Amino acid sequence: MKFSKWVDKNAGYILVLPAVIFIILFSIAPIMGTLRYAFFDMQLNDQSRNDMYMKSNVNIALNQETIDYINYYLDIDLDLVQKDATISKIDEIKMDLIELENFIAEEIATADLRGVVQVSEDKQNALIGRQELIIKKLEELYQMEDEFYSPEDTMAVASEFETSIIKSNFSGGANFAKILTDTRVHSTLKFTLVFTIISVFAELILGLALALIMNKPFKGRSLVRTFSLIPWAIPTSVAALMWCYLYNGSSGIISNIFTTLGFIPSPAALLNSSKNALWAIIIADVWKTTPYMALLLLGGLQVIPNSLYESSAIEGASKWQQFRYITLPLLKPSIFVALLFRTLDAFRVLDLIYVLTGGGPGGSTESLSLYAYKVMFSQTRFGYGSAMVLVMALVVGIITFIYIKALNVDLIGEKR
Amino acid sequence: MNNVKSSTLFKIIIVLYLFIIIFPFFWVTVTSFRPEAEIWSANALKLRGATYTSANYVNLFKTTILNSLKNSLIISTITTVYVTMIASLCAYSIARLEFKFKKLLTVIILATSMFPQMIVIGPIYRVFVKLGWTNSYYISLPYSMITLPIAVFILITHFSQIPKEMEESAIMDGSSKINTFFKIILPLAAPGIFTSAIMTFIGAWNEFLLSLTLNTNEAWRTATVSISFLRGQFEIFWGQVTAATVVVTIPTLIIVILFQRQIVSGITSGALKE
Repeated sequence: MKFSKWVDKNAGYILVLPAVIFIILFSIAPIMGTLRYAFFDMQLNDQSRNDMYMKSNVNIALNQETIDYINYYLDIDLDLVQKDATISKIDEIKMDLIELENFIAEEIATADLRGVVQVSEDKQNALIGRQELIIKKLEELYQMEDEFYSPEDTMAVASEFETSIIKSNFSGGANFAKILTDTRVHSTLKFTLVFTIISVFAELILGLALALIMNKPFKGRSLVRTFSLIPWAIPTSVAALMWCYLYNGSSGIISNIFTTLGFIPSPAALLNSSKNALWAIIIADVWKTTPYMALLLLGGLQVIPNSLYESSAIEGASKWQQFRYITLPLLKPSIFVALLFRTLDAFRVLDLIYVLTGGGPGGSTESLSLYAYKVMFSQTRFGYGSAMVLVMALVVGIITFIYIKALNVDLIGEKR
Repeated sequence: MNNVKSSTLFKIIIVLYLFIIIFPFFWVTVTSFRPEAEIWSANALKLRGATYTSANYVNLFKTTILNSLKNSLIISTITTVYVTMIASLCAYSIARLEFKFKKLLTVIILATSMFPQMIVIGPIYRVFVKLGWTNSYYISLPYSMITLPIAVFILITHFSQIPKEMEESAIMDGSSKINTFFKIILPLAAPGIFTSAIMTFIGAWNEFLLSLTLNTNEAWRTATVSISFLRGQFEIFWGQVTAATVVVTIPTLIIVILFQRQIVSGITSGALKE
């Protein structure tokens, strides 16, 4: 009884709880993670930088692995060598290796036998000193006249000592400073903005015109509406692949038509020149999202009461005046939502370009998202990629702010 | 006279619009039934006098495309089921119940739908690698990031439209708030919940970035990513590519034709929260 009363009193919290957990786990926590990554020089393919280290660390596991390998090669050498001098040199190195193990066990290792352990800079330097001494002695060994198994392999293995030393990779604002000077960021940002502005503007004008047409009753209106849904509903990668075929340099029908019309010198020039490729991407995007824009705006048009048009017609208003003074002002909230969502969508464009041009030719159609993706997953530079994504999020915030101010609408229904 | 002219113009625009929407599908479908050699010849641009074959489809089904479609279907279904459930609870609470931080929660949900998806991918990728969750159906979990906000906003609209008297009388009769939600509101909101489920399914089905980064193994790829790999580095078999495009488009076509009314309502109610 008491429990059910408590449940009833807190029903509001209980019902939002599952959604809140998902939002925290898959939106907020990852965003915080990205925020942290951006301040580190984090590279997944580099063992000493594949995590974030504020302090100096030692990878004991890797260090031990290196010791084991050196021992393994030295044992083979011991069977091959002839001279007493070399044997004693090898024994000396093996003693050093044992001392190194002892040093790790006594000074660095923790009770829970973790692989990566945080250490003071002094201890890290002492460890580096011991490792370097061993490498130096190995070099001396292999300069001696005797028969060895494979000096190159042993030295290659010994050089792996380096990977067990992890210096702090906290880089402060270095990633952000690098964005300011990275010309590839500048060119991708410019491309993304040009693409966003042209395609969203074209989609708004065409979408508004189509919405006005579809708002009139005519035969087959529902059929037109159904067809409008298809480009929006199909996956972007599928649409991109479709356009890729229509644009291709030999049998692409669109590229051939454009050549005939004189827009481009030859069919192959459509995706091979950076300027034409930009337009090719814009056309594909406009094809895919204008119908969606039209449906969004149509939804807004349908809630405008017909009586407004009737009474204004009685007072002698022209069609243009009706559009200018009734339709546009009342459609403003819909236009705002459509513009905002389309702009943000266009700004983060990735799959369309990934499939259609891959960023080519020569990186000229690379969007900011695509570049950030490549930095993170092809070059595995997570820190730098994260900083780029944060800059994108900042631009998204600025765009949203500009729209709210420019169109003067309230986004979360504050004035309701 | 003027009226006749404008209605002719009107018809021309409509027909032109439909033609532009349909033409790419039409042309790709036609190509998918042509032999590969012919696609590279001058004949490729002609409709008549061409040879037609089903060879592209036969070859396509030897690849992993059907498996990718199965992956997409399973992942999208899991996503739709759990996202619709948690979104319904959340949206009802926001639409009708009182709790602190309601406005903050609404703003956060709206904001997460506006951020570029790239912002979550790095940490999610690392956690998935650590947990060994890459190349699995666990990928459905982060799909909530893209589908949950839309589902919540569609459902808030629908719950707000249900007359308040329904709940008030139930609560007067001594029913608890949670009982009222499940017994009275949920049945009434069924059409809205269905709309939100359709939109969630389409969103999950079309997802690209998460699938590209988390399910990298060919056996676990979803259809959207799988199809992007057909555009090879050095050569493209257009016959197979176009056939794959047709095959992957068919499920979407079926959904659009069957549920067009729900989708239109979903598009408008998700965007206009009035």
